[in-house]
Amino acid sequence: MEKTEHILADPAASPAPDGSTPVAFFTQAATFRGLWPRIRAHCAELTVKGKFSHGAKVAEFETALARWTGARHVVGVNSGTDALVLLLRAAGLRPGDEVIVPAYSFIATASAVVLAGGVPVFADIEEDGYGIDPRAVAAAVGPRTAMVMPVHLFDRLADLHGVLGVAARHGLAVVEDSAEAIGMRLDGVHAGLLGRGGVLSFFPTKTLGAIGDAGAVLTDDDAIADAVRALRHHGRTGRTLDHFPGIANPTELVGCNSKMDDIQAAVLLAKLTRLDADIARRTALAARYDERLRHLPGVRKVPGDVPPHPGGTRVSYVYLVEVEDRDALAAHLAARGVGTEIYYPMPLPLQPCFAHLGHRPGDFPRAEAACAAALALPLYPDLTDAQVDRVCDEIAGFYAGSRR
Amino acid sequence: MTAPRTIPFFPADLFAPDHGTLLDLVYVIGTHPEQRFILGERTARLERELAARLGARHVVACSSGTSALTLVLAAIGVTAGDEVVVPAFGCAPLAATVIGLGARPVFADIDPVRLTMAPDAAEALITGRTKALMPAHVFSTMAEMPRLRAIADRHGLRLVEDSALAQGGVLAGGPAGRWGDAGVFSFVQVKTFGMPGEGGVVVTDDDEIAGAVRMLRNHGQDGRHRFVHHRIGYNSRFDEVMAAFQLHRLPGFDERLARRAEICRYYSTRFADLADRGIVAPPADGDGRCPYVYTLLADRREELRAHLAAHGVDTHVYYPRILPEQPAFARYAAPGGRWPNAASAARRNISLPLYPHLGDAEVEHIADTVRAFACRSRKTP
Repeated sequence: MEKTEHILADPAASPAPDGSTPVAFFTQAATFRGLWPRIRAHCAELTVKGKFSHGAKVAEFETALARWTGARHVVGVNSGTDALVLLLRAAGLRPGDEVIVPAYSFIATASAVVLAGGVPVFADIEEDGYGIDPRAVAAAVGPRTAMVMPVHLFDRLADLHGVLGVAARHGLAVVEDSAEAIGMRLDGVHAGLLGRGGVLSFFPTKTLGAIGDAGAVLTDDDAIADAVRALRHHGRTGRTLDHFPGIANPTELVGCNSKMDDIQAAVLLAKLTRLDADIARRTALAARYDERLRHLPGVRKVPGDVPPHPGGTRVSYVYLVEVEDRDALAAHLAARGVGTEIYYPMPLPLQPCFAHLGHRPGDFPRAEAACAAALALPLYPDLTDAQVDRVCDEIAGFYAGSRR
Repeated sequence: MTAPRTIPFFPADLFAPDHGTLLDLVYVIGTHPEQRFILGERTARLERELAARLGARHVVACSSGTSALTLVLAAIGVTAGDEVVVPAFGCAPLAATVIGLGARPVFADIDPVRLTMAPDAAEALITGRTKALMPAHVFSTMAEMPRLRAIADRHGLRLVEDSALAQGGVLAGGPAGRWGDAGVFSFVQVKTFGMPGEGGVVVTDDDEIAGAVRMLRNHGQDGRHRFVHHRIGYNSRFDEVMAAFQLHRLPGFDERLARRAEICRYYSTRFADLADRGIVAPPADGDGRCPYVYTLLADRREELRAHLAAHGVDTHVYYPRILPEQPAFARYAAPGGRWPNAASAARRNISLPLYPHLGDAEVEHIADTVRAFACRSRKTP
């Protein structure tokens, strides 16, 4: 390893000012180390094959993930964001079409609509959870509405039965932003497969995470899958996956370059073998947090207090609490070496990039309330019970009086 | 007598000497305490080192050469109603990136020898809606950048240089990527500075373009305030494993490029007298060469291809069809438009193996095989 050390010289994680051991918001280092023999074997195979993107490992991963999710098609791309853009286009979004999306999500939910040529129309979220409110969807339907895109945030599916009902009544297509929802199922069907299609993000912090950007489209629809396959490879039809000469195939669609790297597929293939165990570990960690935090003063809501919608399963990707004095608590935890994230500090309609739509504070009260109170705590399979206890102790200490 | 093994066009062992390093880097980055995988310190260092080599103010890494073009076009404000003049012969992103922003590609014919956009043809297509010229370097030849630069300046247009494949090329003392308001490089494995994954960079001296590209590549964020999105952006980022690998390989780039150039020169020396036998080779020397892909124009291309295949030489036809005749782009092409030089190139282009670890004996075998085909053929009238 010596020969590469110069490229990699970085300070190790430094202890918190008070000398306690930090709890990172995210790490998968131990998981990666444990899986290294498998990852190494996959990487060794791909170096022999010698096609390093859009190659045989990507094909192998697509097949393995299709089996795991039950999807008829898994199409690997460069990111979850790209997956959304390509899915929307493949599902037939036309320029100027409106897509109803929740006011509370990561930016890609709305920016993907714009990048696909459409116009996002925002709807507020449920009273208890963080999914789009079907009644708000119904209220947002207009003459140009073509699709609705629920998002499954953190640990819970949106109210899909409700959304599918509204969509059916108004003749809208449903595509799912299931980027965070690997493992979540409704009535036994994997997230992303309840409407025309969905996506997965393999951003490193995800439940199934790579060590770089990667994503996928999931669908049971042959035509959508074929279109996404072409769009990700410059619009070229015919065989391109694991087939270099396919670059000369006819360009049938106006596409882009959104090929997945085989090295990421190698990591993902290895991690997929312990995805069920990882999800179980996340569930146990979330339950431990719930137990410790549920009755703390200052903690308004823990994820376990909001049950999944009927028929839905929970997968604890993000452990998100709503708290009082959120920013002060986050600063306190940071000072004590505990990493947190604010998912999300600002509702989508109020982002500067959507200023031209003219929304004002107060238009989406539930989304705004969530943005003011939500704080994500460390949650990943490498996390120990003792670390969860430590985070909870710090939160308890904050609300016990150290905050003033 | 056939060769003992087929000489591949797309070799599987491009990075064979560095496979160990690649595995080390995957392990070290996967287990590093920092757990930073995207747009981290290694990417920043790669950007700095490339900028220093090029004498450029800014190098901004992103997810691919194609994406780099999109980011540049978006950064200069190409939008619905605009036109961008692009060559009729070349790779799909020349048209697709323009259409992706809602603008219209206007196809210009090419120079019959260089195969790059003909400056006169491009200038003739400029209208009040033209926002930019986007020439591309093709195979092993840079476009006529001094003339295109002058035309762009004369008409007050932006010049976007599709230098995706030309890293290392130099024309009139100006490196590829440095002639436009912005240029791009692709690092997909087959390129001159290829790597084992997808990635690319934008190169520019323009602070505004660089700033916009940095914002656009990561969801419109400004790099300081997380989850505040100033513009509708993309996810077009660079992975740390790839940055580390490129930093490891950068010192060897000049040597690999020189070997590629040496092979090109040898090919062209061997093929210099075949023009009247229906095989036109690029010149052996001269300014503005970039030894990425070595391409012949052959009147009887399919026969040549079959002949080479029968003698263990794999070839590739990059562009069998001109861009205005691709199904995706036909509706954007001028009705009744004609691009005779592009069409001729599409009928005749055939590319030979070219990579740094191609051995002398293999190169000689390939040249001998092409010559044998040409010399047994009838002279074309």
